[in-house]
Amino acid sequence: MSLLFDKTKEVTKTLLPVVVLVLIICFTIVDVETDVILRFIVGSVLLLIGLTIFLWGVELAMNPIGEHMSREVATSKSPVKIAILSFLLGFLITVAEPDLLILGDQVEGASGGTLASAIIVYMVSIGVGVMISLGIFRLLKDKPLNKFMAITYGIIFALAILVSEEFLAIAFDASGATTGALTTPFVLALSLGLSNVKGGKGSEENSFGLVGIMSAGPILAVMLLSIISGQKNIQGDAGEYIFQEGVIGPMLEAIPHLFIESLIALLPISILFFIFNFTKFKIKKGEMGGIIKGLTFTLLGLVIFLTAVNSGFMDMGRILGMEIAKMNTWLLIGIGFALGLIVVLVEPAVHVLGEQIEEVTGGHIPVRLIRMTLSIGVGIAIALSMVRIVVPEVKLWYFLLPGFAIGILLSFKSNPIFVGIAYDAGGVASGPMTATFVLAFAQGAATSIETANVLVDGFGVIAMVAMAPVLSIMILGTIFQRKKVEYHQTSEDKSTKATSPVRRDDLYYDCLLVIVNRGFADNVVDLARQSGATGATIIHGRGTGDHQTVVLPIINIELQPEKEIVCLITETDISANVANNLLKDSWLEQEGEVAVFISPTVAMIKDLTLDNSFLED
Amino acid sequence: MIKIDTLFFTIVNRGKANAVLRKAKECGATGGTILLGEGTVQSKLLEFLGMTEIRKEILMIPASGDLDANLHDQLSETFKFSKRNKGIAFSVPFKRWTLEASDQEHNISIDDDRFTHCCILTIVDKGRSRDCITAARAAGARGGTLIHGHGAGVPADSYYPLAIEPQKDTVLVVTRKDKAASVRERIFSDLELDKPGNGIIFTLPVSTTSGLFETRTEERKGGTS
Repeated sequence: MSLLFDKTKEVTKTLLPVVVLVLIICFTIVDVETDVILRFIVGSVLLLIGLTIFLWGVELAMNPIGEHMSREVATSKSPVKIAILSFLLGFLITVAEPDLLILGDQVEGASGGTLASAIIVYMVSIGVGVMISLGIFRLLKDKPLNKFMAITYGIIFALAILVSEEFLAIAFDASGATTGALTTPFVLALSLGLSNVKGGKGSEENSFGLVGIMSAGPILAVMLLSIISGQKNIQGDAGEYIFQEGVIGPMLEAIPHLFIESLIALLPISILFFIFNFTKFKIKKGEMGGIIKGLTFTLLGLVIFLTAVNSGFMDMGRILGMEIAKMNTWLLIGIGFALGLIVVLVEPAVHVLGEQIEEVTGGHIPVRLIRMTLSIGVGIAIALSMVRIVVPEVKLWYFLLPGFAIGILLSFKSNPIFVGIAYDAGGVASGPMTATFVLAFAQGAATSIETANVLVDGFGVIAMVAMAPVLSIMILGTIFQRKKVEYHQTSEDKSTKATSPVRRDDLYYDCLLVIVNRGFADNVVDLARQSGATGATIIHGRGTGDHQTVVLPIINIELQPEKEIVCLITETDISANVANNLLKDSWLEQEGEVAVFISPTVAMIKDLTLDNSFLED
Repeated sequence: MIKIDTLFFTIVNRGKANAVLRKAKECGATGGTILLGEGTVQSKLLEFLGMTEIRKEILMIPASGDLDANLHDQLSETFKFSKRNKGIAFSVPFKRWTLEASDQEHNISIDDDRFTHCCILTIVDKGRSRDCITAARAAGARGGTLIHGHGAGVPADSYYPLAIEPQKDTVLVVTRKDKAASVRERIFSDLELDKPGNGIIFTLPVSTTSGLFETRTEERKGGTS
């Protein structure tokens, strides 16, 4: 039961603060109808169940699918095939995204029908396809992400001059809409798979960033659309909002609709995968079973999660926004900050990203630290959005442009792995929770304040949430780079000598464990091969010595240096040679802090009979 | 008590390794390396649901003679390894290789009577580790721990000059010595390791264990043997 328990505990930990804060507000400041409170409580329970199931499903299904797909992409023999395949992946996952359809309809309404919903959906999907394609080429060619993103955002800024403020907001919002609950985990898995296949020194940095690249696609697409069509202004107003009544009724009503939406969103990835499985991968039955179970869990969890969020959280958010905005401006900004701080942690993709960071860096980057930074970023973003709603003179781009500009500048100073995480975090933070609960809160506030435009201000919130984490995690990355673990020059005790005589009659092999600092494993393998060893297995880990840890002030999180463990099986007569050669290499010794451990082992490598003779002893 | 150099392995739930390492440092250890791994569950229902994974951390600490025994005692007590599912610890005799002592020879042998347990390591392609655990269980082992890693690069024939680094899982099974042979052969034959590229299996001697359960009823086994 441990995993079930762990996952539930993790989700509860992030959900509980939200529930507590909202209930406290309900009972002290704002008078909310009993129906809405009850629905919120039922919604929270459902959200807990749904999110837990969804996260399992993602782990079981999305990760292996992403892995197989990325292998197929990376090992293609022609660039044309890579381009087509990755474009197709990007296009298909986006075109089915329910949030994007909603956005398309909204824009169609707002533009008075000039821009048809279908055009927007297709343009955005093409944008994502192209960006995913470019992103995959970037990864395979090992071009630095910070330069790539600097160029991309440079183009966005150039286009932004030609686009009206309303469309700027819609463009950034479209990027939030495409990075939905399903697409983000899939693209994260794809990115991880690709970097695993590619390997090499940059594999860790390359595991992140594809979500960030992808989310630039819609921005470019919508901006181009606005420039080409000459559409500058948006009109209209969000329709009168009708609150739902009852507790269970609205939830049951929402289920069929949400089920179909989720199914459609899940289908393209699944179908593409099954086609490829049929023609190419042909994976084993057991693994296939796991993936099918995973897809079922993903669908089930997503439906429950969306039901909970849509019926339980949306009305609550709107009422809170409306009521608090009527009372006091400062209170609105303060509560906006608090909500942003904790709501972002309930986003499904934040959990997925956190797990991936832990897995990839072998626990070197504390997930807690990333989450905290993410929270603070989003909290400030929501608070600033509230300021924008209250004070009409403050424009969206006052925050967006400098925010991204500083982010890009910092990306050249920051620790490389954080660059990818930061750009990904933007897409990750603007998921379904933000799109419903936080957006409803902002729109509620906008209805109560006369100078605010519900539609325009609503659009801006998601753009802010997508920008803030990029900046905050980039700042963290810069701090990390400065605090980078100083490798302490160890003076190992080298006096240990073996005393007793050899007994190696029965032993055929030695197991060598070589522990080095990250990035040196390839050198170890090269050296070992030159000395006669054949293959090796490399495992990521983190390590500590006496003077090697750096403790971040205030939050008291320990940073441990990353290590790589190389496991070699060699014949006994060459193991000493391999070990000596490794230790003789002065560069490896000083920079890599190599440590070699040797143990005798019975290995069954090719011939069973060899070992049988030993077993009979 | 055996006075040999060992690597002290501890397998605990994810997130606890730092605490264990701190405690180990209090006992006199100089440092350690932490790997992420996965444990296994034995439950029909959970297996059906596909939840066969428990997140674990594996901590390796170089220790010698007294420190090793000390660590076993202290850590077992602090982290209650004697209770089920709290974690296990075992020591594998490992020689720290150094240049000055390069004429040194191995002073340990796997079939030494002092070693009561064996640690069987199987390295297979990612995704086949479950089969490996199933095979080990069928032959009488209690469970295993998976560690994800990757093989050293093999140049591949694709558009980009990629060095494919195949994803590998290392399966770690600790079992009593008398069972080791059958477990090993079972894994070997079930996973067809005799065919090239299917994986390798090797066994390391284990000198001391804490918190290892061989059968459901058996109490703390090994202790400081």
